Amino acid sequence: MEEDEFFGEKAFQHYCAEFIKHSQQIGDGWEWRTSKDCSDGYMCKTHFQIKNATMESGSRTSAHIQTCLPMEETIELPLDDSEVTQTTAATEVIRYEYHVLYSPSYQVPVLYFRASFLDGRPVALKDIWEGVHECYKTRLLQAPWDTVTQQEHPILGQPFFVLHPCKTSEFMAPALKHSQKINRDVNYITSWLSVVGPVVGLSLPLSYASAGSRDE
Amino acid sequence: MAEEPESGLQLPPSTVADGDGPTEVSPGTVTPEPPSSAAVSPGTEEPAGDSKKKIDILLKAVGDTPIMKTKKWAVERTRTIQGLIDFIKKFLKLVASEQLFIYVNQSFAPSPDQEVGTLYECFGSDGKLVLHYCKSQAWG
Repeated sequence: MEEDEFFGEKAFQHYCAEFIKHSQQIGDGWEWRTSKDCSDGYMCKTHFQIKNATMESGSRTSAHIQTCLPMEETIELPLDDSEVTQTTAATEVIRYEYHVLYSPSYQVPVLYFRASFLDGRPVALKDIWEGVHECYKTRLLQAPWDTVTQQEHPILGQPFFVLHPCKTSEFMAPALKHSQKINRDVNYITSWLSVVGPVVGLSLPLSYASAGSRDE
Repeated sequence: MAEEPESGLQLPPSTVADGDGPTEVSPGTVTPEPPSSAAVSPGTEEPAGDSKKKIDILLKAVGDTPIMKTKKWAVERTRTIQGLIDFIKKFLKLVASEQLFIYVNQSFAPSPDQEVGTLYECFGSDGKLVLHYCKSQAWG
């Protein structure tokens, strides 16, 4: 396409498909879901995270559980393990969900997310902020409602937090222009998600950076 | 394209990593106030017995982002992306609320706690790691 700023739904689906291909290769857990009428779809991933890592002295396996895929046996360990009693209420497992949808009005991808405890209680936004990386905290705490809003998921109809997309095309533009200049195909979704993901606790493994890169 | 000669500011002149470019540690090109977090060294780090502890990073600006006078830096392998971002922001005198992104492989932003040593292993070539940086407001 000529205009990289114009990111249509087809491009969105194409890049998501490429992204998911790599995700499957490395077991990163992203999936594609379609809406009931199959007219559109989105990408999603669920991961579990231990909140408040005071578990070093407890079970040895706890370190591996951070941001791992939903594998029931490993999740149950810290909760049942009597060695971990010292951490008591600090040992909470939180289930994060990330959904990547296309916004027709902004013509960019949008990141929807929500978090809940294992018993289904939703995690408050302020608690999600605690998991945000230091370097983003200043900016986000200054004006969190400018950047994150709560909206109904367009397909599921459930409340999610949304990272506001109004600046997306702006910060994506230089990187895309640059890659165009050097004649290189860049996966918009990979690039975009690598930037916005960490803000809400989502990291992409490095291998995505070289996935699908063709010869210049 | 007229690009100023890269002053390879590395460890003190006694240790020369690879001889590309003059190892000038001229005060003129160094920042007026050295960054308090000794994240990267234009020569202020303790002399490392093992010179491989540091890797060479070449910083390139993307878009309208100000270009750093000094582009080539020797950085500890364990320095994180966040540390590097903080350093560049100080160097460019950006305010805390301005965002700076660093890209590897020209398109991918590593997570803030990623170590540059790891990035060097994956994406380094010709003895250096090329990182692009971009100033922006990603949100709000």
